[in-house]
Amino acid sequence: MAGANMKAIKRRIKSVESTMQITKAMELVSSSKLRHAKERAEKAVPFFNLLYQTMSEIASDAVGFRSAYITLRETGAALLIVIAGDRGLAGGFNLNVFRRADARAKELTAEGREVVVMTVGRKAQEHYAKSGYRILGSFDNVGESINPHTALRMSEHIVHLFDEGHLALVELFFTNLVSPLVQEAREMTVIPVPNLEHNTGLQSLTNYEPSPEAVFDSLIPQYLAGILYCTIVDTYASEQAARRMAMENATDNAQEMIDDLSLKYNRARQASITQELTEIVAGANAQG
Amino acid sequence: MSTFSLQIITPDKVFFDGEVQRVIVRTTEGDTGILAKHEKYVAALPAGPVKVTMADGTVRIAALSGGAVRVAPDHTAILANAAEWAEDIDVEWAKRSEADALRKKEQSKTQKELELAELKLRRALNRLRVSSMK
Repeated sequence: MAGANMKAIKRRIKSVESTMQITKAMELVSSSKLRHAKERAEKAVPFFNLLYQTMSEIASDAVGFRSAYITLRETGAALLIVIAGDRGLAGGFNLNVFRRADARAKELTAEGREVVVMTVGRKAQEHYAKSGYRILGSFDNVGESINPHTALRMSEHIVHLFDEGHLALVELFFTNLVSPLVQEAREMTVIPVPNLEHNTGLQSLTNYEPSPEAVFDSLIPQYLAGILYCTIVDTYASEQAARRMAMENATDNAQEMIDDLSLKYNRARQASITQELTEIVAGANAQG
Repeated sequence: MSTFSLQIITPDKVFFDGEVQRVIVRTTEGDTGILAKHEKYVAALPAGPVKVTMADGTVRIAALSGGAVRVAPDHTAILANAAEWAEDIDVEWAKRSEADALRKKEQSKTQKELELAELKLRRALNRLRVSSMK
C-alpha cells in the first residue's frame, strides 16, 4: 500500500514541477515586457504634459473663452472607454477596472444618461459583450503595438461622434502602474476637458492664430489621442506587472507544494522501509 | 545670429531638442518664421513641413503630421503626432499610403469616411513633398 502511495505522490510532484516551469517562464516574460512598457510609458509623458499645459493656458488666457469641449451637454450619451488586457492570468487586474467602470455605468444610467462603451483589450470586449450596453467600438491586441497613429485614429473616431452631438461626455477607465508592485484602477473624465483654469479677465499677451478657440479645438483630437496612448501604454505596463506578480505567487505556491509533497514522499518512504524492517525482524524471530 | 531652444515632441519620443537659429512652420494661416525673442505665440498646425536652421547654420527639413507650435519666452515647442526628417522618409511607404488613401476616398460612403481619407491623403502627400525637399 505504501508503495502505491509513494508512486501517486511522485506523480503529483512531477505535475506540480512542470506547472512551476510554466509559471516561472511566464514570470520572466512579463518582467521583460514590463521593462519595455515602462520605458514607453515614460517617453509619452513630456508630450502629454506640454499639450495639456498649452490647452490650459489657452483656456485661461482668452477672455470669454468658449468651447464645446469644456461644457457638459444636457443631451447625448456617456461614452465609457474601458481599457483592459488581452489575456487573463494576471490576478485581479482586469476585474478591478471592470468593477469601477460598471459602478460608474450604473450611476450614469440612474441619472438618466444612455451609456455606450468602447473597449480596448479582448478581456474588456468579452466582459461588455454580455453587459447590454451599446458597444461603439472594440480594439483588441493593441496594448503591445499601440502607436500614435492608431491612437489618433481612435481619437478622431470619438471626436467625430462628439461633434455630431451623439456624445455628451467621455470617461476613461484604465489601470495606472504606481510601482511594479502596485497597480491601481483609475477613472478620468476626458470630455468635458477637466481642471482648466478660468480666465482672470486680463488681456492675453499671446498671439493665437487663427484664434484661441480654433487652436484649442484643433488640439482636441491630439489631446484625446495623447490620453489614449498614455493610458493604453500605462495599462499594458500594469497588466505585465500584475501578471508577473501573479506568476511569482504561483511559482512560490508551487515550490511550497513541492516541498510539502517531498516531505510526505519521504515520510511514506521511511514508513515503508520501517515496515519492511519490522517484517524481516518479525520473520527472523519467528524462525529463530 | 542668436539662437533659441527648440523642442519637437511626439507622443512616443522627444524628436528634436536643441539650439536653433530659425524655424519655419506651416500653420493653418500660412508659413510662419520664428527667430529668437519671438513674441508669445500659439498656432495650430495641419500636416506640413517644418524647416529648422540649426545653430551651426545647417538646414534640416522634417514632415509633421498635424499638431501645434507654442512659443514661450524661454522655450519654443512643436507638438506633433508624428515627425520625420526628410531624409528618413520611406518614399515607397508614403506612395503606398497615398494610393491607399485615394482608394479609401473613392470607396467612402459617409461624410466621415471621406474626411478621414482626406486627412490620410494629406499626410501622405505632405511626406512625399517633404522628402523631395531635402
